[in-house]
Amino acid sequence: MIRTRRISAALTVAGVLGVAAPAAASSATTITISGATASYPLVSLLAAKYVKLHPKKVKFRIAQGGAQVGINDVAAGRVTVGDVSRDPLASDPAGLVFYPIAKYAICVITNSANPVSNLTPSQLTAIFTGKTRTWSAALGGATATGTIDVISRQQGAGVLSSFQTLVLEGKKIPGTFPEKISEGQLKQAVESDPSSIGYLSNYQSEKGGVNTVAVGGVACNKADAISGQYPGVARFYEVTKGRATGAASAFIGWISKSAAARKIISTQWIPVV
Amino acid sequence: MLKHLRDPWPDHRAERTLGAVSLLVGVVVVAMIGFVGVHAWPIFQHNGLSWLGPGGSIEAEIANMGNASVHPAASVYHLNAWPLVYGTLLTTTIAVVLGLGISVLSSIFIVELAPARVRAVAIPVIRLLASVPSVIYGLIGILVLVPFVGNDLITAHQKASVQNVVELTGAGLGVTALILTVMITPIMVALICEALVSVPRSWREGAIALGVNPVRAMLAVTLRAARPAIVAAAVLATARALGEAIMISMVSGSRSFAPKPIDGVTFLFEPLRTLASAIVDYHEGLSAPALGSALYAFAFLLLFSAFALSIAGYLIKLPLRKYQVRG
Repeated sequence: MIRTRRISAALTVAGVLGVAAPAAASSATTITISGATASYPLVSLLAAKYVKLHPKKVKFRIAQGGAQVGINDVAAGRVTVGDVSRDPLASDPAGLVFYPIAKYAICVITNSANPVSNLTPSQLTAIFTGKTRTWSAALGGATATGTIDVISRQQGAGVLSSFQTLVLEGKKIPGTFPEKISEGQLKQAVESDPSSIGYLSNYQSEKGGVNTVAVGGVACNKADAISGQYPGVARFYEVTKGRATGAASAFIGWISKSAAARKIISTQWIPVV
Repeated sequence: MLKHLRDPWPDHRAERTLGAVSLLVGVVVVAMIGFVGVHAWPIFQHNGLSWLGPGGSIEAEIANMGNASVHPAASVYHLNAWPLVYGTLLTTTIAVVLGLGISVLSSIFIVELAPARVRAVAIPVIRLLASVPSVIYGLIGILVLVPFVGNDLITAHQKASVQNVVELTGAGLGVTALILTVMITPIMVALICEALVSVPRSWREGAIALGVNPVRAMLAVTLRAARPAIVAAAVLATARALGEAIMISMVSGSRSFAPKPIDGVTFLFEPLRTLASAIVDYHEGLSAPALGSALYAFAFLLLFSAFALSIAGYLIKLPLRKYQVRG
């Protein structure tokens, strides 16, 4: 008896909460976002600041899932804004508008026991397409010997497609290599394997633990990416279906114009202009 | 309304409520199969059952599917998923065969031979092991086992011998099968122990009284009576091994390669991907229509195998029922 009463009381409370919560939230506009895991840290920082500056006016619901998820969700109208970590592709649905919000560099990394200093774009292309398969001192003074363990990212990752376009002269990384499903797993694999080579966004490689390789004599860091000398600089985009309107337009405008947003972007990423 | 709910329930109402709840479970299962089936349909429609077979490069096919637009051409749906099917069968078979041997032997030890004190500790510890989440095993795998195998077991010569076909980094069949065995063995030990305990002591004592030696009596009477439970344990363990996704995604080398037994020891180091780990690896592309459909097709195949498995388990148990104690 007592148990039945408790259960019905609990159900009633749950029911009342369920009805009340959406009613309380409806006073603020909600911007829904989904997409790239790479830009998630930046977008959530920007959103938190924006909410602080515009209290009670706007709310965010941000989901990850990958660049392709962001594209498909925004095209189908499931979210207001999609996050994308690569340039627009021909295969993207028509009618999407891409707003660049920040830039980031894609660095080539090796194990810290194998301090490769510099690789030319053609050496990199040969390594990542599987033509060069053994380490030698000619490869930027590599101290590792034997087979090169190339570590790549899974199909659909924005960092993979940007890396192929910007650094590998448009050549594709073949499916021969292990495909890690996140930047964290890729970094862990390179850290634990002395003969490995991989690629990461600059704010991940700058956290240390791996050796960062210069490309064509230019170091992979924020300074050389800002000056435009480093080739592997990709962009984060906010994507909307048609031109952005209402709250989404205000948010995207704030990212590109305000000093507060620029300050957040400059901490680990690179402002677009 | 609330007061009405608080009153003691009449029998007919309790019966209907409970009936509705159990019916709901059935409805959910059917709805789930229907949902997965509908989403998987385009793959079956374009490939028939040939998508389970070899040929083509699955990695290139998956890349095509992920890059296709919202309305993909029919050719995009082309799929040859044999490496995934083979990887699933290979890891599951190795883990279940190894695990079954280990768990039967260790159950006999725990129930029949171990001192009472050891038994009192061993059984709860094994229950605890059986409930460890698989991602923990995955972490131990990528942080400890994969670097150890990659740096200390694989020789430079082995790496070089296959370097143009496949890359050996330590993550691969050996580590995957090992961790999978460790994962499923405790479940089997726990179930088999319970069955052995419930075999009436008098049966075995009777056999010993007839002059059979104790080991023989254990194998011929106790173990024989527990056979249905051993089958049930193997079925449960196989289901867990088939569906294991996140651990395998972390330690298998994430590459749709079919390891070749002809390569000798190197076979154990070759990477692979299973149906379940492919769903984890490619879930980002779930909303690309063709790739999404392929992932649902993998899920459908796993669901189908789970059903086939429980039916097979039931059929195997039928003739064993003569002297069963449980199961």
